[in-house]
Amino acid sequence: MKTVMIKTHEAWLATLMAGFMSKTENKQVLFDFSNILFRHFNWLENEIIELEESYSYERDAIPIKVEKLSEMLNNIIHRLDEIDLQLLSSPDKNLDERISSDIKYMRDVLHTMKDEDITAFSMERKFPGIDLTEEATDALTLFLFEETYKEYELIMIYNYLKAHSSDAYLNRIFQILIDESFFHLKRFGDMGAKMGILAVPRVVMKELYQVEDVVQFLKDGINEELAAKEECKKLSEAVAKDSPELEKFFDFINHQENYHISLMTDALAYFAKKNND
Amino acid sequence: MSMDARLIEHMMNPKNYGTLEAADAQGIGKNPDNGEKVAIYIRVGKDETDPYIEDMKFQAIGCTTTVVAGSMLTEEAIGLNLNGVKNLVEATMNLLDKLPSEDAACSEMVALAIKASVDTYEERRSDPEYPVITYKVQNSCVPKEENMQKEEN
Repeated sequence: MKTVMIKTHEAWLATLMAGFMSKTENKQVLFDFSNILFRHFNWLENEIIELEESYSYERDAIPIKVEKLSEMLNNIIHRLDEIDLQLLSSPDKNLDERISSDIKYMRDVLHTMKDEDITAFSMERKFPGIDLTEEATDALTLFLFEETYKEYELIMIYNYLKAHSSDAYLNRIFQILIDESFFHLKRFGDMGAKMGILAVPRVVMKELYQVEDVVQFLKDGINEELAAKEECKKLSEAVAKDSPELEKFFDFINHQENYHISLMTDALAYFAKKNND
Repeated sequence: MSMDARLIEHMMNPKNYGTLEAADAQGIGKNPDNGEKVAIYIRVGKDETDPYIEDMKFQAIGCTTTVVAGSMLTEEAIGLNLNGVKNLVEATMNLLDKLPSEDAACSEMVALAIKASVDTYEERRSDPEYPVITYKVQNSCVPKEENMQKEEN
């Protein structure tokens, strides 16, 4: 079961990366499939928790540097085949059937996808239609690497917290924060692909998501969101002269952080109230 | 951090990122100011007269600069004997003054984690239960101008 979960984690990320690489109608289908695989990952995680087995979010590195989308699609199909085979050893046959049925459909669709040339690894660091200064390009490059990882890290942390909590109020907050981080991850991943610097976020260290003190984590998280707002502001100013479009985008991301801070503040207040009751 | 193709390659595909299942030792470099840390895992080649780094992996809670430093330094350390690794750590520490303070803290954290892993390995040769050694950085991760502003305030 643990192996299936790890392989599903890897297949989810590989499919998400393929979505970033694509510039055609394949993109949305790949994003949808990556969402399905993320749900499988959650089902498997919940199953492991029910079986009271220990697990982690460790996984192997995922090579994605390809010249043609078909190479990546074949890689994903191979990953799905492996998961399907491993499912045979799982104790929950209903869960297996659901996952296996999804896999069969996704595999068939992936086989029929039209091929594309990939430019997501060109390292050109040029935004289509936008001429940034070298300084702004460097700042944007660093921001995309930092924040792509950070959003993935937040997804994994909130996902782990949600999987280990049965509190409906907190889980609602965690789910919103996961959805928000997915939105940011998708935007930053797309931008990374357009700049030719697409990369898989690195593995998150266990001690980050196996949170021992949730209150402290939320307090630190609010400070990190405030720091992220500053970064967005700096970046917005750095690109303003050359691209009003990017300036607006980073102002938008900056303002979105307010919502995250508000959600984390709500969660903190909830914990405080629970402790007082 | 000024960027060239080699640096971007390390950002896109950090070398030796991860853990080693059969590690002979581990070492930690830590920044107590902000909770960032680097863990180094080493497997030592079993040449009793001149042990060498057969494999080295790292994991980081930190920024992209830390990951790039981890990628570069672990690449250089693999294949070196233990004295060679110590020289690499020393050479890195001697270069820190030439780096911006925030970059210096990241490189120092990686170098100290490597030193900690080798020191842990050496201690474990006489005491297999010796705990993982942690070293703390001296450089601040906060850029100099922000540090100066803080002091003025």
